[in-house]
Amino acid sequence: MAATTPTKVEFYFDVVSPYTWFCFEVLCRYRPYWNMDLVLRPFFLGGVMKTTGNKPPMTVASKGFYMQKDLIRNAAYFGIDIKLIEDPYNVLVQKGSLRAMKFLTSINLHCPMYLENVSRELWRRIWSKGEDITEENSLKEAAKTAQMNESDIEKCFKKMDDTETKEALKRTTQEAVDYGAFGAPTVVVHTKEGQEMFFGSDRFPLIAQLMKEVWKGPFPDKNSKL
Amino acid sequence: MASSPRIKVEFFYDVVSPYTWLAFEVLCRYQSHWKMDLVLRPFYLGGLMNATGNRPPMMVPKKGLYMHKDLLRNAAYFGVPLKAIEDPFNVMIEKGTLRAQRFLTVVAHEHPEHLEGVSRELWRRIWSLGEDIVEDESLHLAAKATNMEDADIQKCLNMMNDSTIKLSLKKTTEDAVEYGAFGAPTIVLHLNGRSEMFFGSDRFPLMAEMMNEKWKGPFPDMIKSSL
Repeated sequence: MAATTPTKVEFYFDVVSPYTWFCFEVLCRYRPYWNMDLVLRPFFLGGVMKTTGNKPPMTVASKGFYMQKDLIRNAAYFGIDIKLIEDPYNVLVQKGSLRAMKFLTSINLHCPMYLENVSRELWRRIWSKGEDITEENSLKEAAKTAQMNESDIEKCFKKMDDTETKEALKRTTQEAVDYGAFGAPTVVVHTKEGQEMFFGSDRFPLIAQLMKEVWKGPFPDKNSKL
Repeated sequence: MASSPRIKVEFFYDVVSPYTWLAFEVLCRYQSHWKMDLVLRPFYLGGLMNATGNRPPMMVPKKGLYMHKDLLRNAAYFGVPLKAIEDPFNVMIEKGTLRAQRFLTVVAHEHPEHLEGVSRELWRRIWSLGEDIVEDESLHLAAKATNMEDADIQKCLNMMNDSTIKLSLKKTTEDAVEYGAFGAPTIVLHLNGRSEMFFGSDRFPLMAEMMNEKWKGPFPDMIKSSL
């Protein structure tokens, strides 16, 4: 009997977002457990916000305070090492992630096998170690740590500012908006009946149900501690 | 050896909020599973929004569209008979829930044993049956469905506009603000002399962990519970 076709799951992400990192790691962990085809789609959250009129949650003061606690609790739950950013407005808004997402787009176009690892290293820089992700050195360091070889790093970095790369990032961002996205992470599950968009890192039980899979908590390979 | 004390869990809620209904039903179901002392605290979400500068999610159109789907999926997952409201702006904002929340405040004071039941009936009216919860008649019907006596219901309706009740609702709302609330549901766990505030109906695994309890999904009573 033929194996069933894996369910295509598109993962729209921007490394500026910590909740997106939680979602990313969980989906990567579930690759051997769920019959899915995980497609990583680097997009630009800043662009999504602009198009949809949404604003980052920290613009409401008490939301900002709550988010700090919520991030730490979720980090422990998901087993990811998060360090709160000291100057979030400067890092997340003024400096932002446009260059990082352009770099990841370039990698996706020219050396896609490194996309997962470089994304992880960029998240680690900004959200674990409090390091820069805008400068040339920062991006190249992340790629190096992800075991990319020198020539591939140079190639992808050079092509970062090509029209092709800019257009690809724009297009991916627009696709997410067309799916109804207003934030990150945006997860789109393609079933026989159609596609379903999910927002956030707290809908896994619903995503599992839709895919007719089992949600075993953040660590599927441990003996099911939820 | 003395057994560990029950953990006080304050549940700040307003029946205008559908996600809050989901959290309410879960906490009610878990009363017999978790060692907790569930304290229902009806507050006024409209007042909370004013105090914190927050706005309802539907103000961003794409969020509103998503929320419609998200609510129905969650309703199915949590087993709560939620139905989309046809004219949400009129029902939730123009009509609103100030009277309903005042009524619940009276019930909390005078007949706390009926607070859970009347809250549920008000949610059912607005979020399952698409019925009014502003008029006295509507509030009466909700209370009647929990087998409250007519005379008691009338007494509660008469007390709704007392300054003590208005102040009580205000104070509960202020208490929530003090805990850092910006929306509903706001759930406050009291552990080891400190308070931990949670927002939303999607943090139960985290709350369970903090309380040293087990999250068994939305139906803890089922033999083979799934997350």
